[in-house]
Amino acid sequence: MSKIAIISRPDQGVLIDVSGCATLEEVIEQLNSTLQLSSHFWKGTPVDLNLGSLTLTEQQVAQLLALTKGLGVTPRQVFSLDLSTRSALDARGVTIGLGKPMSLPTVAPVEAEGALPVEVPQVTAEEPNITSITIDTTEDRIVMVETDETPDPEDAPKLVNFVDPNLKKEEEPTLFLKQGLRSGQAVSHSGNLVIIGDVNPGAEVVAAGDITVWGALRGIAHAGIGGNDNAEIRALKLEPIQIRISNAIARSPDRTGIKVGGPAAPESARLIEGKIRITRSYFE
Amino acid sequence: MSGRVIVITSGKGGVGKTTASANIGVALANTGASVALVDMDIGLRNLDILMGLENRVVYNLVDVVEERCKLRQALVKDKRMPTLSLLPAAQTRDKTAVNAEQMKKLCIELKNTFEFVIIDCPAGIESGFQNAIAGAEEAIVITTPEMSAVRDADRIIGLLEARKDEIEQYRLVINRIRPAMVKSSDMMSVDDVLEILSIKLLGVVPEDEEIIISTNKGEPVSGTDNTRSGLAFRNIARRLRGEDVPLMDLDAPNSTWISRLVKFFAPVARV
Repeated sequence: MSKIAIISRPDQGVLIDVSGCATLEEVIEQLNSTLQLSSHFWKGTPVDLNLGSLTLTEQQVAQLLALTKGLGVTPRQVFSLDLSTRSALDARGVTIGLGKPMSLPTVAPVEAEGALPVEVPQVTAEEPNITSITIDTTEDRIVMVETDETPDPEDAPKLVNFVDPNLKKEEEPTLFLKQGLRSGQAVSHSGNLVIIGDVNPGAEVVAAGDITVWGALRGIAHAGIGGNDNAEIRALKLEPIQIRISNAIARSPDRTGIKVGGPAAPESARLIEGKIRITRSYFE
Repeated sequence: MSGRVIVITSGKGGVGKTTASANIGVALANTGASVALVDMDIGLRNLDILMGLENRVVYNLVDVVEERCKLRQALVKDKRMPTLSLLPAAQTRDKTAVNAEQMKKLCIELKNTFEFVIIDCPAGIESGFQNAIAGAEEAIVITTPEMSAVRDADRIIGLLEARKDEIEQYRLVINRIRPAMVKSSDMMSVDDVLEILSIKLLGVVPEDEEIIISTNKGEPVSGTDNTRSGLAFRNIARRLRGEDVPLMDLDAPNSTWISRLVKFFAPVARV
């Protein structure tokens, strides 16, 4: 008998049968590997759970419920043959299924000839094994533009007037633009902006949130308009004429010829202590 | 102070209006005058690139006209000459973004601060041209020694003549002349062009590869010593200031190996 079975019952939703498991660890492992890829799939579907004769404490029941919830499943009722498990379920306020749940007929497993092994990725609570090194590459890439005088509130940049000052960062909608921008074209957005394509010199992108360019950024980008100092600008090839974050402006170094050495890797620009810095991240 | 507002125009595109604007501006600033260069080619701005200032542009002419910033905020100071400033055009707008009245107002404001206001006019004879000449008192018509460019220059001169009340004087600059081709009668000579246009000549600029290099570098040739085109533009600037400078000898050998050798050891253009 397999350790987990998902049984679709006409008009009664789905029954997840883990009665083949001997321990809670096994149940968790099985649920994790089977259900993790399809959390949205369960939405709106009544799901029952059959624990069989498994013995669980109240704490273990809580652990199990937390796991199923994380996978997007909230059992409508739980079947159990074990008395102490039933009382634990009852104590956690879980509806206990009455009668005998539907089960699959026992069939001896047949090894399919040449069947491909299916590997299901595991979800682990541990941090993924990624170390990131951030390298400051600002040197020779951009020059901060110092403003001669403290800006008069009257002179404050009024480049766009569509930004709602009450907008919170979490609420910022993201605009995906699957198109490059040529000279003279401009896009402005009151949330985050993602451009799939190149931003050429003479083009302008303006956003209240972050600006991400999946391509080369060679024009002007202004992120965090309206005073959002946390905004970032990132691009696969960051070689802009000017970048502006919030109220800070940085420009490219002066040309000496037609060829300018481009960056070797994707980079991002952010505001650190009032100055725009460019950093490159490596993942190893 | 009341400065002079000079528009640089041609009718035809590609004859060197922007190159002439940048070089005359730099040459005038080199004589010690305060100069404002105004790019009126809204939507197709180039003057900032020729000046190597495109990375310093924050506000532009349309921002000034629409009162999003003050004029002094939009003026970009040149990186080499402190007396030279650029008022860049907007790139993401078009010619309809300003009108003639706004340009007149802007020119008055500029000539209160600068001795020379040089306006780089867009190609064509439509609203962009009309707006560019709206606030000007003088015009420099650029042409090349080609039939099509001369024909368009003639059209422009006709339009300027029709505004005699505002445009006090207009003079001609013949650009990209090739003395060798003129000699072999493959190109119109200075006299041929003047014969058709019957207009006062301000200067003649020889064809020069250095222009391409200087455009890529963002350093106008008139700011450097050893180019013939740069010298021609410096002469034009001196004539604009009222000096009597003779035309340079275009027949002087320029590209033989011996002249290059001479130039290498004495990097000063021969007149």
